[in-house]
Amino acid sequence: MRQWIATLSTNIPVALIALRTNLMRSILTTLGVMIGVLAVILAVAIGEGAKVSVSDSINSLGSNMALVFPQPENQGGRRTTDRGRLTERDAIAIQRLVPGVSDIAPQLRNSVQIVVAGRNANTAAMGVTPGYARVSNLNTEIGRFITDADVRTAARVVILGPTVAGKLFGSFDPIGQELRINRVPMKVVGVLEAKGSSFGNDNDDVAIMPLSTARQRFASSAPQGPDDLHVLSVGFEDGVDLGVAKQRIKTVLRERNRVSPGEVDPFSVRTTEEFMKETGQVTAILQAVLVGIASISLLVGGIGIMNIMLVSVTERTREIGLRMALGAKRRDIRNQFLVEAAVLCTIGGAIGLVLAAILSRVIANLGEFPVPVGAQTSILAILFSAVIGLAFGSYPAIRASRLSPIEALRSE
Amino acid sequence: MKTKPKMANKPLLQARDLVKDYVIGGEVVHAVNGVDLTIQAGEFVAIMGASGSGKSTFMNIAGCLDTPTTGQLLLDGVDTGLLDSDALADIRNRKIGFVFQQFNLLARTSALDNVAVPLIYRGISTGERRAKAGAALENLGLADRLSHTPAKLSGGQQQRVAIARALVTDPLMLLADEPTGALDSQTSEDIMGVFQSLNDQGITVLLVTHEAEIAQYAGRRIVFRDGKLIEDAAVADRRRKR
Repeated sequence: MRQWIATLSTNIPVALIALRTNLMRSILTTLGVMIGVLAVILAVAIGEGAKVSVSDSINSLGSNMALVFPQPENQGGRRTTDRGRLTERDAIAIQRLVPGVSDIAPQLRNSVQIVVAGRNANTAAMGVTPGYARVSNLNTEIGRFITDADVRTAARVVILGPTVAGKLFGSFDPIGQELRINRVPMKVVGVLEAKGSSFGNDNDDVAIMPLSTARQRFASSAPQGPDDLHVLSVGFEDGVDLGVAKQRIKTVLRERNRVSPGEVDPFSVRTTEEFMKETGQVTAILQAVLVGIASISLLVGGIGIMNIMLVSVTERTREIGLRMALGAKRRDIRNQFLVEAAVLCTIGGAIGLVLAAILSRVIANLGEFPVPVGAQTSILAILFSAVIGLAFGSYPAIRASRLSPIEALRSE
Repeated sequence: MKTKPKMANKPLLQARDLVKDYVIGGEVVHAVNGVDLTIQAGEFVAIMGASGSGKSTFMNIAGCLDTPTTGQLLLDGVDTGLLDSDALADIRNRKIGFVFQQFNLLARTSALDNVAVPLIYRGISTGERRAKAGAALENLGLADRLSHTPAKLSGGQQQRVAIARALVTDPLMLLADEPTGALDSQTSEDIMGVFQSLNDQGITVLLVTHEAEIAQYAGRRIVFRDGKLIEDAAVADRRRKR
């Protein structure tokens, strides 16, 4: 160890002098490693950012919940049995029979056209109950959400997502305004807080109304029964095992649908945990591909280092011979060139790291997308560039150390 | 400079039936072909000969840059033919100081750092290296040129820096290969004066030259031809720097 420190403390100044002597060449060579390190760090950071962004998106759906969808049994496009309906009674049964349920949020969904004062907007209408706000972590920016009374009376009230509110009202306060949804007059009572988009979907492009209102007035593609649902969100208390909860929900629904063992379930249940896992796999693959491509540029940078070190050894053959005559052992010569390559790469890596940190900020600002360059990544990048230097510098360094002192001294 | 007592009659360098063969284009060339020679500690020997006479090959072996094909070379009692490259490097570092025709200083490196280079390979700390290098330069009259790079020094000054570098390790022997070959006659005389005064202080000097005039500064002259020693005699009319 002490010997290594001594080697470094003598060889680093020698390396710096050599690199300064051919400053332009050193800079151009470093460029390769710099771009390589820059690419790898950005690839890692973008991958990390994608992970964060995806898990944020999933959390914005509601962190601890399951989504239940009906899956009617179809044959030739026609419904053949009464099975595969999801009803409000099913929702109540789930709330009653599955432990750990905090809220249920039965939903009807429809696409609608909203018109007000000559402006119009096409959006997704959702008929919900007050529980939906809790399950989906929704808050109103201004006004209020759906109440139990709204649901009981099928009130003609609507809460707009910020995107829709902006399209229809611009900067005016929409609260209390009348508008027409598919020609039905409704009153705006609230505007949601912005949630941003997830998976390319604008979560703010939505109009929310009471479940009963949606059922009575916008039943264009409503399911057949009087209390059928399109989707049921089930929220769970903290610490509930979602895998177990999912099985409980399935058991309840199988019994209610009289599904015998071996038959395909006429419904599907997905948990946020499953979404996380699946999208996590996708982003991991994305990151691996990005890092793989970026690594190629680092490899090319490393080959550039090897090339320049070979040139440098040839140019400095006489110096090598002199150093050998003055008592340098083969390993001294080898170490000198190894340190030189490592210093070159480390400087390149450090510059690449700084550029990556700056660029990641720029990308994060442009893309509304986090691109974190962490301390761990930074240290790894610097170490990795030094290793690149040592790896690609070793062939030239060993070649230098194998020179015959006499022939090296004689060279011009 | 340390004054070493003359160690007369102690052989420093002994060549015994020394042979060095090279294979060039499939043919064996006897560059040195059976040389017997003893050089005592404290001698000043000029080695002469035309190019291809074997004098350079002999110098390489004497300087531990190369080893003989057959025969023996004993330096300070050690048979160099038995040593590996690391041990040879160590001997070059500790026992031999090289001075070259083209000075061979590192460009863009100060005189002080140039002189300190051999000490790097001895694992001496930076501070001590600089102190020793400074002292060596001072002894050669370059105390005010420590931070000058070779480009800012005259030829004679560069060769003095090179001599300081050769001396900084306190070697037993200086090997000077055409040390005045790149210098004008006045400067050559100065440099030869430096070698003479070092020799007076007890350092053995081996000087390779093809100039008879330069050889006259030495105390003994040996001449190579076709790989063999053809002349070995004391210099009769030895020159002294005025």
